[in-house]
Amino acid sequence: MTQPTRIGLEPLETIGNDTPRIDAVERVTGAAQFTRDVKLPGMVYARVLRSPHPHARIVSIDVSAAMSLPGVLDVITHETSPIVWGSGCVSGGRQYNDPIKDATIHRRYIFNNPVRCVGDSVAAVAATDRNIAEAALDLIEVEYEELPFVLEPEEALADDAPRIWPEGNMCPDTRNRFEPMTSRIGDVEAGFAEADRIFEQRYETGFVHNAQMEPRCALATWEGDKLTLYTPSQGISNCRHDTARDLGLQDHQVRIIAQYMGGGFGNKNQNQDADLIAAELSRRVDRPVMLEYTRRDDWLGVHGRWPTVQEYRVGVKDDGTVTAMQMRGYSGMGPYRKNSGGISGMDYYACPNRLREIYPVYTNRTTSGNFRAPSDPHGVYGVESIMDDIAYEMGIDPVDFALRNMRRPTEEMQFTNYSLEEVITTGAEQFDWQARRRVQPGSDEGPLKRGAGFSFMMFRAGLGTSSAVVRVDSQGQYTLYVGVTDIGPGAKTTMGMIAAEALGVPLSRVEVVWGDTDRTPYSVGESGSRTTIMTGYAVVQAAENLKQQIADRGMPDGADVLIGTATPVPNTDGLIRQCFAAHFVEVEVDTSMGTTRVLKYTAVHESGRIINPTTARDQIRGAAIQGIGQALHEDLLYDPRNGQPLSPGYYRGRHLTHLDIPDIDVTFIETDDGYGPFGAKTAGESGIILAPAAVANAVANATGRRMRSLPITRDKILQEVSA
Amino acid sequence: MNSDSFDLEAEKQAVAPDAPESPSRREFLETTGATVAASTVVSFATPAMAQSTDAAAPRTAISVSVNGVRHEIDVEDRWTLAELLRDAIGLTGTKIGCDRSECGACTVLMNGAPVYSCSQLAVWADGAEIRTVEGLARNGELTPLQQAFVDNNAPQCGFCTSGQLMSATALLAANPSPSADEARAALVGNLCRCSNYNAIVEAVVAAGEGGAA
Repeated sequence: MTQPTRIGLEPLETIGNDTPRIDAVERVTGAAQFTRDVKLPGMVYARVLRSPHPHARIVSIDVSAAMSLPGVLDVITHETSPIVWGSGCVSGGRQYNDPIKDATIHRRYIFNNPVRCVGDSVAAVAATDRNIAEAALDLIEVEYEELPFVLEPEEALADDAPRIWPEGNMCPDTRNRFEPMTSRIGDVEAGFAEADRIFEQRYETGFVHNAQMEPRCALATWEGDKLTLYTPSQGISNCRHDTARDLGLQDHQVRIIAQYMGGGFGNKNQNQDADLIAAELSRRVDRPVMLEYTRRDDWLGVHGRWPTVQEYRVGVKDDGTVTAMQMRGYSGMGPYRKNSGGISGMDYYACPNRLREIYPVYTNRTTSGNFRAPSDPHGVYGVESIMDDIAYEMGIDPVDFALRNMRRPTEEMQFTNYSLEEVITTGAEQFDWQARRRVQPGSDEGPLKRGAGFSFMMFRAGLGTSSAVVRVDSQGQYTLYVGVTDIGPGAKTTMGMIAAEALGVPLSRVEVVWGDTDRTPYSVGESGSRTTIMTGYAVVQAAENLKQQIADRGMPDGADVLIGTATPVPNTDGLIRQCFAAHFVEVEVDTSMGTTRVLKYTAVHESGRIINPTTARDQIRGAAIQGIGQALHEDLLYDPRNGQPLSPGYYRGRHLTHLDIPDIDVTFIETDDGYGPFGAKTAGESGIILAPAAVANAVANATGRRMRSLPITRDKILQEVSA
Repeated sequence: MNSDSFDLEAEKQAVAPDAPESPSRREFLETTGATVAASTVVSFATPAMAQSTDAAAPRTAISVSVNGVRHEIDVEDRWTLAELLRDAIGLTGTKIGCDRSECGACTVLMNGAPVYSCSQLAVWADGAEIRTVEGLARNGELTPLQQAFVDNNAPQCGFCTSGQLMSATALLAANPSPSADEARAALVGNLCRCSNYNAIVEAVVAAGEGGAA
């Protein structure tokens, strides 16, 4: 197989060696049981009715015809089940902050009135058969009073715009104030005064659905006052706590089981309304209830990356030094604020004068939320687009422009280690940057034009708390208990490898127990690229704890076991801990057809020590390909006349297929900065951050035209090149 | 059913358990894993794993072979083949990603040809030979393709994996040593949102006679 190039460190005993997943056989034989594969005795099925209108008040709901359909057991609506979904809308988008959830002014319920987007949930049916449940949806009679709607964030801020919430369409911050998110460093006006040239540009980015292959589903069953939820969750501990809070239970009254799950990319963090709807129906009908979302339900009823508008102003001296950076951004959050609406990328620059104002805005599109590196790829596209244009305008190689202006360690801001220059220069050499880029953009003759683009980044790798338990029995068999779910990156295997290394035993002696809150301790969740570094560090500490016990007492005898535990609170001694990467892309644009083909893709990452090179490589390759999809294809288009979504689904979203995929070359520069588990840093999200910017810059280099909105579809290219 | 573009000889090879030169059904059952062996050749009037059913729904009796096991079964006319496999027969290795012919997670072999089981009615499978992911390994021994998927990290989350495997199984039956481009063309109907496309193609090529495996 194609192995990543690795520079810097030799493998340890287990860590650093290519290791097949410990559950690979289950994944290739159909034995892996996903949530929808679970069948419980007496289980019934549920379906959700969704709003056909972008904004409407529900005047009345008549469920009598649906209830009289043979096989229908129950129908619930906003009248029967006024349950607040606490993490469905949070002031400031602080999804993990309990006090802010309690104080959130704009409450989202599992069924809302008014409904605020096409796809907002209206009612749910439980029936003995999924086809009966689906047929019953058609028999629910809802009288709507249609309300005016607004789709675009800037229009939504106008004084006369339809109001989605009583206070207007600005999303509240953590203190329920209606202010933009503002970040100010230095004196931006002084910086512009110092500049020889000032550049301005506006960019737009589309909504990108997480589009994980497994649609949302949930199976709920009660034993007395204890709820068991089988649900695909990227964080079973958070899911349990959120579900308990929303249903008025104690944490111990909820058990979350998430064994195999079909992806998420941020779509399955915490709890979801599906969990609460299934739990409510199961409680009412006193049977296990399996709620299955259709693909359309998932597309319109869960979330994707927020669409943005970004307006930049950048001041530069004649020698290519950036003196001021300013951005005003608008993020379309849909009608509920599930996350921040952040737009990052300016922070990669050392420029001492920066001002960023972001307006997270409610619209009557579907909800926006976390998608792998939630604030980053769209922001880096905007920043790197204007920086690329500035570099070429001033006759500077964009790589040199980056090396001149990028953020570096300072006296006040030290890093645990710093590899940004190394990933850029290594990538430029491997990719043969000088040979592939066009010094004069768009200079190829004829309709087929080639060009190259690049982008760079750093991404948080700070440490935090998680827990692990490891047990040894008298036969020397080790069992690791970790509250991780294996959403795809291979967390089970990674945790097992870290435990094996720390314990000094082969991986085959370590069994991993995961994905069940009744069997495992707290884990931080498979979001924020945190599992390897945080739960992994807890595994190291639990192993150390166990080894100390063994040293003190010897191995256990007979039925005795020894159990090591740890809930460490690590820190980085005031140093900034980041992972680093640079991506280089060559494209060929057919300017007669408007099509773009990626010819070569080089990704160089420093993510500390790599635990399992095979799975780490495929995190980067897969993420980069997702980013290419964001760059060239994916969007959720709406009809401005009626607020209807036009492209929900893989086909209309034009998702990449096997035929669209280039080979992604991955290099890891490995280091051990002395922090985290054996020096491992973050990887999962970092790979998606750079592709949209690098592809967009390559298209600009090939065509000589800057594409100012994502995705860069055929129509946009044809419009630009014919302009 | 639409398999007219597919080489019929290749189809026969792809469903080897039922091909004339293959072991008898009894031999096959004795050598297969527990999942298949437990579902002996019976009529599924009230299948144990079935969802609760709608007594009023129109039904049709069909006879279908799944992984070499013949099932005589009354199916609801509205059931898809995916529902029949997952809910009535209990073979949940076939996944439903979109239920509308977009993603390919539900791909199975019908008379050797890859089809989206979400978009085939169960009644259309009357008389057909169906092969699912559970029918690949024999007696716990993975096929070279499955082993190549393990060795090359072809599954990430694993939800598309069954469909990728079935399309690739059909490809390898027709073309024992596919190139990377041939693998991409054959698997174009199988999406992977983990976007592990590179590894999947590497696995398919490695499983071929010309591959490294």
